[in-house]
Amino acid sequence: MSKVRLLILLSSAFLGIGLVAPTISIEPRAGEFTWLVKLWDQEATETVTYSIFGAIRDLFLMDNLFLALVLGLFSVVFPVFKLSLYWLATVHHPNSSSVASLLKWTARLSKFSMVEVLFLALLILTVKTLPGGSEATIQWGAYLFVASALGSMIVPMLIEKPERKGAE
Amino acid sequence: MSNITDSDSPKRPWLHLAIPISIVACFALFFVLPDNSKPGDGNQSQGNEVDEGSSLTEGATYYIFASEIELESTNAKGDPWDAGENGPDIKYRILWKGNQVFQSEEKDDSLIADWSGLSIDFDWSDLGGKTISTDEAIKAARIRNEKEGVIELVVEDEDAVDDDLAGRVEIKLDELKVGLNKRKLSKTATNAVKRINIQVLPQGSSLKDLVELMR
Repeated sequence: MSKVRLLILLSSAFLGIGLVAPTISIEPRAGEFTWLVKLWDQEATETVTYSIFGAIRDLFLMDNLFLALVLGLFSVVFPVFKLSLYWLATVHHPNSSSVASLLKWTARLSKFSMVEVLFLALLILTVKTLPGGSEATIQWGAYLFVASALGSMIVPMLIEKPERKGAE
Repeated sequence: MSNITDSDSPKRPWLHLAIPISIVACFALFFVLPDNSKPGDGNQSQGNEVDEGSSLTEGATYYIFASEIELESTNAKGDPWDAGENGPDIKYRILWKGNQVFQSEEKDDSLIADWSGLSIDFDWSDLGGKTISTDEAIKAARIRNEKEGVIELVVEDEDAVDDDLAGRVEIKLDELKVGLNKRKLSKTATNAVKRINIQVLPQGSSLKDLVELMR
């Protein structure tokens, strides 16, 4: 099996785990009165851990259809579709016009590949600026997701090589 | 739109497209089975579960307080509680090993008084900022259950001059259960307490249980 295909499979596996593994933990705090809030509403101060799928599901259940759709599209549909197109590109002859075509498509999709990472960064920044010392922590699932995104960025570099040779 | 197929295309491109999708789905399913995505995963239990109705464990420490006390319509001697038509001003104390370990607030003009195990005292001066510990908020006696341990509840009618004794109730700790304990008493020459509800909760219980049983 070629290195490119192995990388695509690895990226797919990382993506699969990264979508359902814990991605972000939010620990709500109310400053000096945290213990008091705990007394009267323990759930309000419980640490909540979300996976990407869990966040999409909760957004959907909370009727935030737009956010659920945007997150689902950029973090699930586009990355999976991109990896599928890369795989398809490896099946074609390297010099074929199809490969160029597929890579053009995947290049378009690549523009959205880090949107989910940016979303996480913004979420952490927002939580950290909340009063009361609330904390947001990145969990291991986020690292797998980023690894998958990085993997799928490297794939086109490896695929493009034979095409360039053919073009020369 | 670009044409993504040509003469050297594989015969079944959709089959190849499905390979990464299947890998993503398989790994996601493999990890979703133990349900890693459930919100609140990171929660740690913040105390022990309270097993209501269970006997007290020897050597363990418990919060004990009277959640409700009802007095007879007249005192032990058969006289009215207070001058005029005023009802008794009920308060109680808990004695353990001969020492007073807790005293409740007084409840004015009432034959049935109730107390919460949780309360916070705020003053106007506290608006500038006040730090309160959980221990300060819990209004209950802390008792360790020892073999043949006994506590005494002294119920009084608070008066301006002198407090009148409504009744003294001796309670063996091994007769108590975790949670609500109801006691009915008969009127005697020394007792005018009709009924006592005692709440018992293990120290180190989860805050949720403390709130549920103490408020």
